[in-house]
Amino acid sequence: MTTMDTDKLIERLAENADPVRRLAAPWVRTAMWIAIAAPYVALVVAMMAPRSDLQAKLSDFRFLLEQVAALSTGVAAAAAAFTSIVPGYDRRVALLPLAPLCVWLVSLGEGCIQALAQGGAGLDLESDFGCIPAIALVGALPAVAMALMLRKGAPLKPYISTALGGLAAAGLGNFGLRFSHPQDASVMVLVWQMGTVFLLTMLSAWAGRLILDWRPLLTNVRRNLGPG
Amino acid sequence: MQAAQGGDMRAYERLLKEITPKLRQIVWRRRQFFTSEEVEDQVQDVLLSLHAVRATFSPGRPFMPWLATIAHNRLADSARRYYRGKANEVQVDEFPVTFAEDPANEEVESYRDPGELANAIRGLPEGQRNAIEMLKLREMSLKEAATASGTSVGALKVSIHRAVATLRKALIKE
Repeated sequence: MTTMDTDKLIERLAENADPVRRLAAPWVRTAMWIAIAAPYVALVVAMMAPRSDLQAKLSDFRFLLEQVAALSTGVAAAAAAFTSIVPGYDRRVALLPLAPLCVWLVSLGEGCIQALAQGGAGLDLESDFGCIPAIALVGALPAVAMALMLRKGAPLKPYISTALGGLAAAGLGNFGLRFSHPQDASVMVLVWQMGTVFLLTMLSAWAGRLILDWRPLLTNVRRNLGPG
Repeated sequence: MQAAQGGDMRAYERLLKEITPKLRQIVWRRRQFFTSEEVEDQVQDVLLSLHAVRATFSPGRPFMPWLATIAHNRLADSARRYYRGKANEVQVDEFPVTFAEDPANEEVESYRDPGELANAIRGLPEGQRNAIEMLKLREMSLKEAATASGTSVGALKVSIHRAVATLRKALIKE
């Protein structure tokens, strides 16, 4: 319901137009997020103790490919999340993390097929619920930093933005986890690690409206404008 | 917009006045069934939203797509609110129940003079007037209104109750 003349509203908005700090470009914000998240991930991995076969793993092509894919997924998802809160960008930017995610999935899928071809010995699925809190722990600070940074933007697509943010944090968390968690069977990585990443992404999407919403922003503007 | 981000009020006012007719066009084009008052509501909503996220504009990027994205997003949001509200309404040709007693607030229901009502609202004490404006005219929730006015939910409830009683008395007298 109109409570104020539009011209009057414009005058009031202009009177309340305090200088604002311009939001940096999405790629700059992605770099800032990595600068916050990377030291934390390194610290948590160091505290969890790196895996004993890390030296050998660093020359394993599949391990390296999956790590690069996990890291790229996290970084691309972060860039897409930061872009999604800036009006005027092409919405298809949300698909950016799909390419590295596909490489990651294809590598894991190929590992499962190889295990099947070798008699299925590597396809034993054991319970490893420890992956869920471990990835959540490694991705915790990146996730909080991501949420705080996303709130500086426009809540255009809350569920998509927070899902991308969750994927970024979980992808980075999984990248860190594999330096300390000796789990390499493709099916185990696919189910427990990728499953956790998927679960955390879904949880983040669910929290979309809690983190990003127009209502508190508009209430804040109205409060600054005063009554009338 | 760049000047407005730096706090130049005049430049900002000029910009908002310049884009308002364009926003009206956008709203008309997308919501041709809107009354002029609803269009104005929507335009004001977009202006408030634009103000809230003005830090997201980058001078290196074009202004109109930035503005159009906000406008379309707010329109989609209002459509969602409308359909959500509609989903909770039940359309019936006839009420299935007959009421034995007279409906409450009969005199208020039959009252139809918005001019006098506006005058009566203007005559209310400031606290009650603010409560009416926020809760009844702007349709804010109690929580939102309490945050905006810096009072408690309880105090707002008292104010709105007193304001309605005062208005009822004033309008019946007139």
